[in-house]
Amino acid sequence: MGIIATSRLKSPWIMHFDNSSCNGCDIEILASLTPLYDVERFGIVNMGNPKHADVLVITGPVNKRTARVLKNLYDQIADPKMVIAVGTCATSGGVFHNCYNVLGGVDKVVPVDVYIPGCAARPEAIIDGVVMALQKLAKLQGVAL
Amino acid sequence: MNAWIIAVITVIVAPFIGGLLAGIDRRITARLQGRFGPPILQPFYDTFKLFGKNRIAVNWGQFMWIYFYLLLMITALLFLVLRLDILLLMFILGFAGVAFALGGFSSKSPYSHIGANRELMQMLAYEPVLLLLALGVYAQTGSFMISQIYASPTPLIARLWPIFIALLVILTIKLRKSPFDIATSHHGHQELIKGIMTEFSGPYYAMINITEWYEIVLLLGIVSLFVATPGLWWLGIIIALAAFVLELFIDNIAARMTVGWMVKFAWSVGLTLCILNLIWFWVFAKGVS
Amino acid sequence: MLPYNWMMAVAILLPVVAAILIFIIRQYHVRGLIVILAAIALIVNSVLFLLHGKDTFSPANAQMWDMVVTVLDYLILLFYIYVGISLKNWLVLIFALTQIIPLAWFEFGMGGRAALAQVNPTFVVDHLAIVMCLVISIVGSLICVFAIRYMYDHEHHQHLEKSRQSRFLFWMVLFLGAMNGLVFANNLIYLYFFWEVTTLICFQLIAHDLTKEAIGNAARALWMNSIGGTAMIIAMIILFANGAQLSLNAIIGGGVVSAVLLVPVALMCFTGMVKAAQFPFQSWLLGAMVAPTPVSALLHSSTMVKAGVYLVLRLAPAYAGTKLGIMIALVGAFTFMAASGLAISQTTGKRVLAYSTIANLGLIIACAGINTPLSIAAAILLIIFHAVSKGLMFLNAGAIEHIVWSREIEDMEGLAAKAPLVTVITGIGVLSMFLPPFGMLLGKWLALESASSVVPLAAWMFVIASAATIVFWAKWLGRLFQVLPKLGSKIESLSLSYSVPLVALVLCIFGAGIFVAPIYTGFVQYAVADVISSGQALAASGWGGLAVSGISPVSSTANFPIGNYPVWPLFIVIAIAVLIPLIFIAVKPGELRPVYLCGEQVGGVDADEWYSTADAKVKVQLGGYYFQGVLGEAALNPWTYTLSIVLMVIMFAVALLAMGGAL
Repeated sequence: MGIIATSRLKSPWIMHFDNSSCNGCDIEILASLTPLYDVERFGIVNMGNPKHADVLVITGPVNKRTARVLKNLYDQIADPKMVIAVGTCATSGGVFHNCYNVLGGVDKVVPVDVYIPGCAARPEAIIDGVVMALQKLAKLQGVAL
Repeated sequence: MNAWIIAVITVIVAPFIGGLLAGIDRRITARLQGRFGPPILQPFYDTFKLFGKNRIAVNWGQFMWIYFYLLLMITALLFLVLRLDILLLMFILGFAGVAFALGGFSSKSPYSHIGANRELMQMLAYEPVLLLLALGVYAQTGSFMISQIYASPTPLIARLWPIFIALLVILTIKLRKSPFDIATSHHGHQELIKGIMTEFSGPYYAMINITEWYEIVLLLGIVSLFVATPGLWWLGIIIALAAFVLELFIDNIAARMTVGWMVKFAWSVGLTLCILNLIWFWVFAKGVS
Repeated sequence: MLPYNWMMAVAILLPVVAAILIFIIRQYHVRGLIVILAAIALIVNSVLFLLHGKDTFSPANAQMWDMVVTVLDYLILLFYIYVGISLKNWLVLIFALTQIIPLAWFEFGMGGRAALAQVNPTFVVDHLAIVMCLVISIVGSLICVFAIRYMYDHEHHQHLEKSRQSRFLFWMVLFLGAMNGLVFANNLIYLYFFWEVTTLICFQLIAHDLTKEAIGNAARALWMNSIGGTAMIIAMIILFANGAQLSLNAIIGGGVVSAVLLVPVALMCFTGMVKAAQFPFQSWLLGAMVAPTPVSALLHSSTMVKAGVYLVLRLAPAYAGTKLGIMIALVGAFTFMAASGLAISQTTGKRVLAYSTIANLGLIIACAGINTPLSIAAAILLIIFHAVSKGLMFLNAGAIEHIVWSREIEDMEGLAAKAPLVTVITGIGVLSMFLPPFGMLLGKWLALESASSVVPLAAWMFVIASAATIVFWAKWLGRLFQVLPKLGSKIESLSLSYSVPLVALVLCIFGAGIFVAPIYTGFVQYAVADVISSGQALAASGWGGLAVSGISPVSSTANFPIGNYPVWPLFIVIAIAVLIPLIFIAVKPGELRPVYLCGEQVGGVDADEWYSTADAKVKVQLGGYYFQGVLGEAALNPWTYTLSIVLMVIMFAVALLAMGGAL
């Protein structure tokens, strides 16, 4: 089991979902995937498909329609999984938390492991947040990161 | 050496070689794209992680088809290593692909369905070339047995170089490299999600990866057959590795094309080269070399 | 053990008696019982033929039987004339006249009757004929048993007032006798007679539903096969004019015929090709698909069309090594390639099966044309395996049709959830057509290995066709198994009349596939020797360098110089691939996930709708790929008709030139 636990830390595949974000955080996430920041050297690959993903990276506040979709996608990810909320809107609803259709942050629908505040969150912060998620996973499994 | 020992060693060692090649693939691709890229052992980390995922499924049938895919691919590789009939090897390899396509068909998923149909179109594109390759081997050595290739004094590439070029064309299709990464792609999720592999997850996704590693070893082994005379076998392996790197370059400079274009290209270039080669044999070199 | 004349009577005459009884008795269960008893008798009898071995037979009261054959011949031809006139179908009329007038002139004007009466023996039962008899009796009888319940459901669905099942079963059972007579016949007029009886029954059965389309297609089958019959009569006349004896033995007995006789041989091969629906005559077989499914299974895949390839194969010694043989191989190979390509574009299950049948018949004819011991072995093995697999596939198509009440492949989507048993059996049938190590792939492999050195152009066409066959079979199989994530589909109940033939044919596929090596060494190789050494003195060289061992895949070049096909290891691999998931993997309900619809699926795990704009629910719709613009009949047929007509013309030209050179 040791090698599987270590491999989980070295190969976190992400699925990126935009709830109803303004796309600011999404652009920063995609920037992390470009050669400039190159997160693939950590084994991070953007899979478009919940069945292949380990980490759900979410941006934007949750509204009534995307709550349903977000729950569906979260359920389709196989365990073990982590959830990272990127940006202030995903964390708490941000400037939209009072809107009539917004339910709030992502944690209203799915359990979140790491919150990355920012508007928009910077790629360095995003990478930092992913590392934090991996450290949390390492501690849960009892291996060293 | 005893055939059973060879078989067991092959089954155990080949995925490691294939996985390393896959890792080198990602590393070289990354360097060509001006970035660092993952460590060479990354495919192994991926596979172990996938084995650690809980099993989820969309139906029972997909498991059976993946076992078919894996076992038939191993069988085809054993045919190569044990130097058996190359024509039958191609048929087994063909059916391994069909099993994979049927795995994609097994669920009522739009992305999987398109991917599976495209996989069948890929087979339509490359299967004739593979079978004509076997006929070319027969034309030159007088036998379909791979052992005869190793026993003959003239390397295959001396008289079968057009078929070799055709093989390189379809190698792009088999390795799922642009412009022919049509059924599923390492980086195609904007169009297809993951195509035929969309509904597989966890351990079975890992099994598909492992099967693809066996396939890489098998295909490079077939490439190396073209220079397989006694004493020059190391040159065959070098040519195979060079072909692999060539495919990486092609992958990085080409964009994905359409299914129709792929079939037309494979048939017009690949099929023509093969048939011209065989016509040459029939007209000029009847009989065994 | 029965006396030999009793065995011949059971094979040819028992079906006649049974058919008449079936026609008279109109009660469902008694009639079904007669069919089953006749089936058992025929199957047992065919095994007796197998045990008895090679033999010949002439009926005791030869003159009486000759008279019967003659009278019935002319009655059939007069019936065709009547059909032509009453349907106002001039082609039927013309090709009936082109048969009856030359036949009458030949028999009575030229003195043919006397020559025919002197032919001895009337029937020759060699190993090839025994193979055919086994196929006809076993596969054919199972199909007739299937038809008992099938026609009942068929008429039920049509809400027919007056039942016509007796008439249907009458023709079906009668057909088995005619086929047996055909494969045993040595005397050419007997061969012609049984040939015409099969054409007649084909006409009656295609027209069974009495719709305008059915009658039109039946008429087309009639006039096309009448062209074949005409060719056979002209062949007889030319043979007689050249002083040759009018029997198959005489034609093939001396090895390659003298050049003057190549034209009648070509004409008879042409007859066989028309019956086997080779291009450009394929449209009658496609039109015949309107008939009820047992007709398609019996006539148009496992037996009647096999009569056509049987004749071409039987005549193989006569054209061995000639340019005529090469042309025959090319006609067959072209049909194999063209039909396989066209099958991809077909949306109806039965038309896919029809094109696949035509393609495989082309492959068998090509093997006959290539004419090496290896390719003849391939042809015989293909006859056996194709009859079993394709018979099963058509019966499956019939069973599926009676579940979804449609013949379209798109309507069969997800059948695995509705009817798992039929779907699994269909899956086995489809896989047996192209999966190694089943027999059909063995035959294709043999054909490729033997063609490469003799007629490479045929080998290249085989290659293209093989790639195409994979596509259309996998496409169809995929649609059948496309299900939603749901557990626990119930196995449906099937009437015994459906399930017994289906399961029996599945067992035949596995039995023949797994034990193909013993079947070859114990039996089929004698058939090969009978075909090849009928004229030539040829040592039965067995496989000529190939090995189909089931035991060890490792070969040394000294023993297996050309190829190797390990049967049992491959079956073991397949068995492991099926058994491991079957035994060790049980999907729990908690593991099911919905298919990926971008998270927009409606409802739970087995959702098949998704939320579109304004939360409107839209059903998930999948469609198959058919490429009708590129591979459809409208796109390809101008090419296939042109090229196939050119090939046939060259085939006759080659024979005529040889004859002209010799005269």
